[in-house]
Amino acid sequence: MTDREIQDSLIRALADAPFRSTPGWREQRLADPSRLERFARFLARHYYYERLIHFFKYSRVLARITGRSPETVLTGAGFDGLLEVLVLGSRASAIAVATLAVDHVRAGDGARDQVPYLEDLTAYEHAMMVVESGARVWSDGSGAEATRNQWSVPIRAEGTMLLDFAYDLPVVLPLLLKPWTELPQAPRRPTRLLIARSPHGRVSVARTSTAIDMLLQLADGRKSLDDLARDAGLRPAELQATLEGLVEIGAVRFSLGS
Amino acid sequence: MAQLMVGAFYNPHLGQELAQATGIDHLAMADPPRADDPWWPMIRERYTLLLHDYLGQLSEPLDERAIARARSLAGLYRSPWVAEHFQCLHTEDGTYNLNYVFPPLYTEAFLDRFVANANALQERLDQPLVMENIPGFFDVAASRMPEALWLRRFFDRTSAGFLLDLPHIWLEAHYHRVDPRAFLADFPLERVVELHVAGVEPDRDLEGPWIAPTEPSEAMLELLHHALHHCPQAKAVTFDAFSPTLTADVLQRSVARIRAAV
Repeated sequence: MTDREIQDSLIRALADAPFRSTPGWREQRLADPSRLERFARFLARHYYYERLIHFFKYSRVLARITGRSPETVLTGAGFDGLLEVLVLGSRASAIAVATLAVDHVRAGDGARDQVPYLEDLTAYEHAMMVVESGARVWSDGSGAEATRNQWSVPIRAEGTMLLDFAYDLPVVLPLLLKPWTELPQAPRRPTRLLIARSPHGRVSVARTSTAIDMLLQLADGRKSLDDLARDAGLRPAELQATLEGLVEIGAVRFSLGS
Repeated sequence: MAQLMVGAFYNPHLGQELAQATGIDHLAMADPPRADDPWWPMIRERYTLLLHDYLGQLSEPLDERAIARARSLAGLYRSPWVAEHFQCLHTEDGTYNLNYVFPPLYTEAFLDRFVANANALQERLDQPLVMENIPGFFDVAASRMPEALWLRRFFDRTSAGFLLDLPHIWLEAHYHRVDPRAFLADFPLERVVELHVAGVEPDRDLEGPWIAPTEPSEAMLELLHHALHHCPQAKAVTFDAFSPTLTADVLQRSVARIRAAV
């Protein structure tokens, strides 16, 4: 193994709890298992603390009403029970930890009565945290542009979510982060939001349009741009503008055509 | 020693207090300012700002996007130097990421990587690069030389300055059961440009102390006082706390106590 491969093995051991119990890892004898386990658990709590603080910031603000701060789940038995299966950054782990936080916030006394849109809000925060998970591109490398120019077939990116809400959350979200004495209210009207992540890990949210809905349904990695324009009934300029926006936020990527 | 600045990290939730604070010379920026941060214009106007963001791990070359981001932030902050860390926290293929500082193996191969990539980054920056030491909670059998020697050899082969994180030194000394002053003595202190000082608290997972957003102990301030006697090029001391749980009282009291200690 090269030094870089050994370092990768160490990083994986710290991030991937099941990996730490494999014979392949143990036989490397790179570090004291007890100390490494303690540090791995410290890292896991830190990793998900940062994510809960960021993605559940609206629930944190509402803790003065619900009495429930989402990050407190990290010191509870539920999170301790996950420590042997967590893989930092994986989708399954993000779902497990975000679900703990959602259940905790929703269980506050009278929380749903006092914050009518709490169910939508926590579902939104859950989705943000889950969409952010997964491996990311840390470096574009020198060949990225050349490769991109060869791609031609759009495909909906894995993990992209379309979510339907009963309340118009985008109206209330910025208000929650400003000083308030009376709880800001969200208009009750059906709202569909698109949540996507760029290859570099930036999570974006957008209201959808008919064109976006249709493109996300049709972009299966097999249809060409001409097929998409025809099936969606879009003019080429409209198709291009919509696709550019979706590629920018990571909802659609281009794969090599077959 | 040149005029020594004493400062802290910019914590956006304390924006109002920091915009009006006195006795703070500089603020280190761990994240770019949010577009809706009402205090950012005033902060930028009145403070010397130090770029201390995550630019990328120098075990690999930074790509053009990362370099452009570093240059842009350094320009925005008018930062006198640009900081990065001796860290390798994600796998080369991007699959696993610790999202927390973690040191590289102290080997010849990693030394060559960090030297080459730091020199390449320095060539693209308009400001000097400074590099921060990162603590290990456990020893790794594959490391081939002590951290202090590895760092000394890095600084011998680059023009980078040293950002000496004293709590990191203190923690490593604690977990190796050696005196922090003795542990510190082997590090290339003559290259230090900036020092970090912070508090430590017991951590239940580690079953021992770790960095926390609390005031530095008297022992930490004594270590700072001692270290500064051996850091002739030091220009700044920064209270290293960046957390939504940090309070304005703790921040301002810590900066005041650091100022008294230097």
